[in-house]
Amino acid sequence: MWLSSIFLKTLRDYRVAILGWGIGMGLVVISPMASVTALITTPQARQQLISLAATFAWNADAIAVDTIGGYATFKIGIFMFLIAIWPLLAGSRMLRGEEDRGSLDVLLSLPRRRLNVALEKLAAMWAALVVMGLLIGLLAFGGGKIFRGDFGLGDALLFGLNLALICAVFGSLALFISQFTQERGPAAGWTAGLLLVFIVLDMVHRVVPNSEWISRLSPIYYYNLSKPLVPSYGANAEAMVTLLALAAIFGGIAVWLFVRRDIGGTVALPRWLSLPERRASRALPVGDWSVRSVYARSLGMIAMPALWWTLGIAGFAGWMVYVVQLMETRLAGLLSGSSTMTNLIKNLGGGDVSVNAGFLSAMFFFLPLMLMAFAVTQVNRWAADEGDGRLELVLAAPQSRTSVLLGRFAALGTASIAISVITLLVSFEVAALAGLNLDSANLAAATLGMIPLGLLIAALGYLASGWLRTAADTGLLSFVLAAWFFISFIGPELKLPDATLRLSAFYYYGTPLLHGLQVTSVLGVLAVSALALGIGALRFSRKDIGV
Amino acid sequence: MAAIIEVEKLTKSYGSKRGIADVSFQVEEGEVFGFLGPNGAGKTTTIRLVMALLRADAGFARIAGFDSWGKSLEIKRIVGYMPGEPALDPNLTGGQILEYFAHLRGGVDQAYLKELVERFELDTSRKFRQYSTGNKRKVVLIQAFMHRPRVLILDEPTSGLDPLNQQEFDRLVKEARDEGRTVFLSSHVLSEVEKTCTRVGIIRDGRLVRIGGVSEVSAIKRYEITITFAGAVPVDSFKSLDGVAAVESLDHGRGVRLAMQGPADAVIKAAARYPVVALTSHEPSLEDIFLRYYEGDGALAKEPQGVA
Repeated sequence: MWLSSIFLKTLRDYRVAILGWGIGMGLVVISPMASVTALITTPQARQQLISLAATFAWNADAIAVDTIGGYATFKIGIFMFLIAIWPLLAGSRMLRGEEDRGSLDVLLSLPRRRLNVALEKLAAMWAALVVMGLLIGLLAFGGGKIFRGDFGLGDALLFGLNLALICAVFGSLALFISQFTQERGPAAGWTAGLLLVFIVLDMVHRVVPNSEWISRLSPIYYYNLSKPLVPSYGANAEAMVTLLALAAIFGGIAVWLFVRRDIGGTVALPRWLSLPERRASRALPVGDWSVRSVYARSLGMIAMPALWWTLGIAGFAGWMVYVVQLMETRLAGLLSGSSTMTNLIKNLGGGDVSVNAGFLSAMFFFLPLMLMAFAVTQVNRWAADEGDGRLELVLAAPQSRTSVLLGRFAALGTASIAISVITLLVSFEVAALAGLNLDSANLAAATLGMIPLGLLIAALGYLASGWLRTAADTGLLSFVLAAWFFISFIGPELKLPDATLRLSAFYYYGTPLLHGLQVTSVLGVLAVSALALGIGALRFSRKDIGV
Repeated sequence: MAAIIEVEKLTKSYGSKRGIADVSFQVEEGEVFGFLGPNGAGKTTTIRLVMALLRADAGFARIAGFDSWGKSLEIKRIVGYMPGEPALDPNLTGGQILEYFAHLRGGVDQAYLKELVERFELDTSRKFRQYSTGNKRKVVLIQAFMHRPRVLILDEPTSGLDPLNQQEFDRLVKEARDEGRTVFLSSHVLSEVEKTCTRVGIIRDGRLVRIGGVSEVSAIKRYEITITFAGAVPVDSFKSLDGVAAVESLDHGRGVRLAMQGPADAVIKAAARYPVVALTSHEPSLEDIFLRYYEGDGALAKEPQGVA
């Protein structure tokens, strides 16, 4: 049945993403519901929470943040970027990705109109988003029931639908942009860039008075007009129809352009917008540093993603260093009214939360998490290269399998060190600018101390790729990372035994911002990484390639 | 001459799926050896085992006396390899790819590399993902030849090349042979192998079914002639003609399909006695040859492997 039409086949291709993103994002919505109950135990704490949320009003409207639904809606604003990633990847890949692979040629050789092919694929993406929205809505409803939220099933489903609509806008926008790009990557990149621009545009009216007209240019503004999980605020039907119309317009124009252009080509741009024509060349050598060795090539491949992750990680660290002093008074008041939250931050930060460094230490807990997520993406790329046969010719050159694997790992290690060093420099500089007194040695320990954890998850990924295919390897690593995070984040609060806490890699990161580097732990993590990498290299040197 | 490639009882399976079983052959230094077989017969599996990309369940392969698994690094220094399905970093240009593999080989003769690029008229400034199928194969072909390897192992090298580039490839193979280098190439087109190879091995369903000189293997090569006449003709009169192996009547005697093995002169002369509407001739694929002639021919199918 699932292979009986292009619509159903495309929907079938999305099945893992539907479940993964639907359930994953649903859990993201539930998690703030779980924490808010601990934050509003007293009227004073409730007031402090409202006050603290107002500090972050530039990010999202702080409406009814002392309710389950209101707080979840407020917090989900931060995760907007995360939610839109799947649709923008799916939209850019939908037609352009198939053209890249050549599979669209075969599909279009069938007796079907090009218009129908494109429409069925677009409809499948929208349908997938609706199912994801349904899952998110049901999970939000479940969360509301558990934590005694005051919204009903209809409200939760409207919340899911609103998310599906904003995702449909970005998916359709990516599809539209992919009509102008030769490859899917730039289409995804441009759409991601526009997503950031739209996020900023939406923020403008919350920061600058009388600037709502600017925010109206952003689709996210219309998404934020509906807050179905806050029954007193409700959904805005006009805003939701606007999102639907935007998705339909972008999708419709994309399909209209697609049926008129060459397959494998792009929509012709006016001459003044076109890049100068490339002239054929047989020039050799090209003198590119990145092709001098496996290590250099690996470094060349990792450079661009490392740059983006550096911006994210160093930016997060710098921002936290900057705001910690601004939040000091309100935070102290909030925490004094919530023992659960105090304990949580104490457990993460490892010290007195009334001290700036204590809160900052808890926030720095997220730095190794982000670096490890970066490592997981690079392990995914390694496994995909092997699965797609891109290692075959490299391994047919006189390079040992071990040196190829170690070259790739060394490039990842270099990128991890670069990210950590830049994070250190940014944190140090921002602390100096903000007049925040931080121990330099401890700051170095907190930023550079995440390197062993990045290497550990990468080594485990290389080890697992000796047996597992790309998807399974990435899935396993993501699960391990989530489990470690769970153990260290709420394990102490659940009074998990010390032996269980020690299973998490974050345990060995410790609280370096307050207590400095734990040399034994670092050496232990490095030893386990070396062991995993060694076994992984041994396995790789003996396995069938591309099978 | 000494054997430079030795394959002995090489066996590989993919779980419950068939790979190859007990494949044995030798290739002498300086010869051009063709490895023939229909799609899925086990050609690529054999080649990937020889290149140590797969590990054999049993048996061994040696190149220049080095065990292909245990001494793969030594082997890769003297081998130029072209995979059947080239997959490379799609974001690198052809020039970057060639330079990368030149570096991985510790440097190559740049003048010869440039000569190869010129001969195949490759635009080195395009990204790999932007190349046509033929141009992708040119990049991989050039990287296989660019270090003048002692042994060339090429998996369906002419697939996707246009006739002009196929001729250029034939010239390269001839030059390699003249310089005493060894070429091992796989194909599923018999006539292509006939053109370039001195000896041929045929693999089917994972087993080597025949090996010998090109002339010996050509004995199995047949072609078909289909003739359409204006009216019915005595079909049986074609059976006894020279070169005719089998006759099939078409459209109540108004046409005839002949399985040919040998010159068509007698057939053409016999057909000329009747008003001919159309005449077509074609070489069947290797798969057809196996299906039509090998399958029903117990003697051939069960013929033991022999090394000429």
